[in-house]
Amino acid sequence: MLKTLIGRELLDNLMTFRFAAVLLITLLLVVANTVVLVQDYEQRLESYTGAIRTHYQELRAAKTYSTMAILVDRAPNPLSIFNVGLDKRLGNLVGIYHGFMPTLWNAQMHGTDNPFIAFFFSIDIVFIFEVVLSLMGLIFAYDAIAGERERGTLRLVLAQPIGRGQILLAKYISAMACLLVPLTLSLLFALLLLTRSIPLSTADFLRIAGIVFASFAYLSLFYLIGLLISVATRRTGTALMIAMFVWGFLILVYPNLIRATVNPGGDIQARIKIVENRIQQILDEYERERQKFLEKEGIAGETSEFSKALGLHSYAFVDPVTLMSYVENISLISEIHPEFEKYVPSAKRYYSFVEPLSARTVEKTWHIRKQALDEIYVKQAAMDRLLLKFSPVGVYDSATQAWAGTDLKGVRDFFHAARRYRKAVIDYLYAKEAMPSREWFIDDKGAVDWSTLPQFTFQRSNVATNAKRALPDMFLLLICNLVLFMAIVLIFIKSEV
Amino acid sequence: MVWDIAKRELYDNLNSLRFALATVLLLGLMLTNAVVHLREHPERVQQYRERVSGHQNHIAAHAESSLYDLAQQGPGDLYKKPSDLRFCAEGGETFMADRAVGGYHRWSTGTLKSFWILTYPSATPNRDNVRPEVTKVDWGFIIGYVLSLVALLFTFDSISGERERGTLRLTLANPIPRHTVLIGKFLGAFISVSIPFILAVLVNLLVISTSSTVHLDAEAWGRLGIIFFVAVLYTCLFLAFGLLVSARVQRSAVSLVILLLVWIVFVVFMPSTLVSIAGRSTSSGPTYDLWERSSKLHGELRRDYSPRRHKEPEGTTKRMEMDGAYVTEDAEQQEQLHEERLTRRIAEVHRARAITRISPVTIVQNLIESFAGTGFERHLQFLENVQTYVREFRTSIVDTDNADPESLHIFGVRTGMSQEPVSPEAVPKFEDTLNLSKDFNTAAMELLLLTLFVLVLLSGAYLAFVRVEV
Repeated sequence: MLKTLIGRELLDNLMTFRFAAVLLITLLLVVANTVVLVQDYEQRLESYTGAIRTHYQELRAAKTYSTMAILVDRAPNPLSIFNVGLDKRLGNLVGIYHGFMPTLWNAQMHGTDNPFIAFFFSIDIVFIFEVVLSLMGLIFAYDAIAGERERGTLRLVLAQPIGRGQILLAKYISAMACLLVPLTLSLLFALLLLTRSIPLSTADFLRIAGIVFASFAYLSLFYLIGLLISVATRRTGTALMIAMFVWGFLILVYPNLIRATVNPGGDIQARIKIVENRIQQILDEYERERQKFLEKEGIAGETSEFSKALGLHSYAFVDPVTLMSYVENISLISEIHPEFEKYVPSAKRYYSFVEPLSARTVEKTWHIRKQALDEIYVKQAAMDRLLLKFSPVGVYDSATQAWAGTDLKGVRDFFHAARRYRKAVIDYLYAKEAMPSREWFIDDKGAVDWSTLPQFTFQRSNVATNAKRALPDMFLLLICNLVLFMAIVLIFIKSEV
Repeated sequence: MVWDIAKRELYDNLNSLRFALATVLLLGLMLTNAVVHLREHPERVQQYRERVSGHQNHIAAHAESSLYDLAQQGPGDLYKKPSDLRFCAEGGETFMADRAVGGYHRWSTGTLKSFWILTYPSATPNRDNVRPEVTKVDWGFIIGYVLSLVALLFTFDSISGERERGTLRLTLANPIPRHTVLIGKFLGAFISVSIPFILAVLVNLLVISTSSTVHLDAEAWGRLGIIFFVAVLYTCLFLAFGLLVSARVQRSAVSLVILLLVWIVFVVFMPSTLVSIAGRSTSSGPTYDLWERSSKLHGELRRDYSPRRHKEPEGTTKRMEMDGAYVTEDAEQQEQLHEERLTRRIAEVHRARAITRISPVTIVQNLIESFAGTGFERHLQFLENVQTYVREFRTSIVDTDNADPESLHIFGVRTGMSQEPVSPEAVPKFEDTLNLSKDFNTAAMELLLLTLFVLVLLSGAYLAFVRVEV
């Protein structure tokens, strides 16, 4: 019996104009945008490889250790085609230096960064699904029960020895089968276009499978919302109107409304100021110790001559916006005057004292800074995300971002790696005994050989981590589906025909 | 007769669920918009006032020191005046800098100091921003997205629904020409959509104008009137389109599906997709690229001048002239570099905006932006104001220097210029202004385009309805 019902419903749905229209539009939008997105990705990739090359040359151009300029770049994520998330927005280039802790708030952009262009909204495949699939689900569902009730066929069906739950199940299964056609077809086309120019790994395919599963759950959720409306109303006209307004509210209005209601805490400036002062104290402490060392060395009195001999630029500052603390002792000379040669042993001692100290200092400030950044920037974003999740769009968006690895956690992974790399660079400098060496500040006895410097590598997190991050949202989507279905069954059983 | 049909439509609609839902939705959105504006705007205005007085103090401090000081330091930061009508269109203001910097210093060697140049800092709020990307609820959003959707929901069944119920035959059996029926239906739908919209707008303006912290002057009300007119025109566009599809299609469900899909394509996707296509050919290059080129240019100039300068003994007029030429040429070069980059960036945006004009929602948002005094056209106006002011400032420095008989009139060197303090009142101050007639020029084309769309769709609806079989 169930099979007969499913068959009937399937035919009913497949032979409609809405099915053809939805199929056509989804395919059109997905294919057109994928072509654009793939080209955009290739452009970003090109910019990335170009940046790597220039940064490599820049590193080679540094003749002394103290002028070293290591810059690491974040590769564009190929899955950003599905959900761009924060991948394009946040900086993708950060410096590695022992007197500085890299975070995403200090990152720069390679590639073009015309800020005017940024105010045009950027699009991705998940956004297309967000808008189109939800509308599809509602359009297929609004007359499922109400229409039959209007036409009087519902009585006929219910006169048969079949449970009401089964009728709903038949409707659900057949409609979902229909709705999956545009979803899978458009995804197949997108994958076809993608794999032609972008090599994807097995892990990427698993992640895409996760995105597809999330899309499926999202589609089903909207179908169920439509079914709920259909069960609860008498007339299709009413059902359609309610469905459209629900759609407009959930997709269009609500996500934009949350920003209006949540006001970032007004005392942020004050909090930043407090943290800035604490960091400044640590930097002052550093400066005192540095001065003490200079005095002990007996070069404090003639500091100016010592600095001049080395071309020493020494500064330590904290940035009042991102709380970045930066400690630098850089020697900008190409030769040492013979009469200043006497300062070389002191300079060696100075650098082997001050550089580990500056590394330690920024590490000390890092503990304070990390907490403050999380409180000031990340907490707000998490709050926004949480509020967004009251609309299925928000849940779906978070889930697919987590799968694609373009969410905040995914982007921050890169900066974790950058900090690890900083540690590796420092260890390398210690191992090479670079700080007490002459090459630290002057290249007259030969330039630094950078060929043994450890390379920076960054692997996107593995699929298991992506899955773990997506799990809560996936779970939420499934639970919502289940609860809605139960509610529909309950209402339908209790309703009069 | 037209009026009878319109009235019937109106009564039909007023009692319907969609009317109630549309009213609630629009009222809620407009109220949110007003509340947010009242919360944010006074702060913005206050900040602008503080900054302007900061700019004046900056000028006064340097003017009292000496003319050289003023000429070397420049006028300081020049700020953009926030529009009182920001609630109408947010216009991507967060992506545009709120200032131009008139005092950017790069180097000093011995007695020489680099002269100020005008630079255009870029606001990149997103780079630090990890919050989810959403648009603001402004009039542009409410009109562009929500109102257009509501207009479609009010017209999708106005003809096909009557055909389904059979009442269309009845109506047409009376001696009424078809175009009268169509106009009556159009008017009916138009009034039914206007009522919730006008209600929402009135509530919005009531809340905003009763507040003591935000003032709207006569010009602002005039601008609001134009924005309202644009909204009406835009609504007509979608009403006409709804009628067109509704007349051609047999069933109202099909009509709605077509309308919604077209709406999604044109309103939601078209602008972003087109921009992604247009934005790919960006050429302005990254920021750090600019630094590199800047230092390269300066390096070349220094290599060019240094040997010649040092040949002349210190203190002679010849040396001073050489130094002055070096400093002024450097400033000119660097300023040109920044200006070229700005021009390139603006050209990119112009290209992107030209393409997106295919979508009516972009047209209407551009229009609202230009009349609200926010957005990109306004930013261009601000930049023009800044450049005019900078010319004025420089002329005034030259004039003051020429007026001093003690001065050697050698620009760029301390000893070559007037050492007298300048009266701060004599130095021009920067005041940013909004000019409606300028706005209208840029907007006229878009307004005409929108009117054209409306006319085409209306005549399309007429043709479709006249030729259709009942």
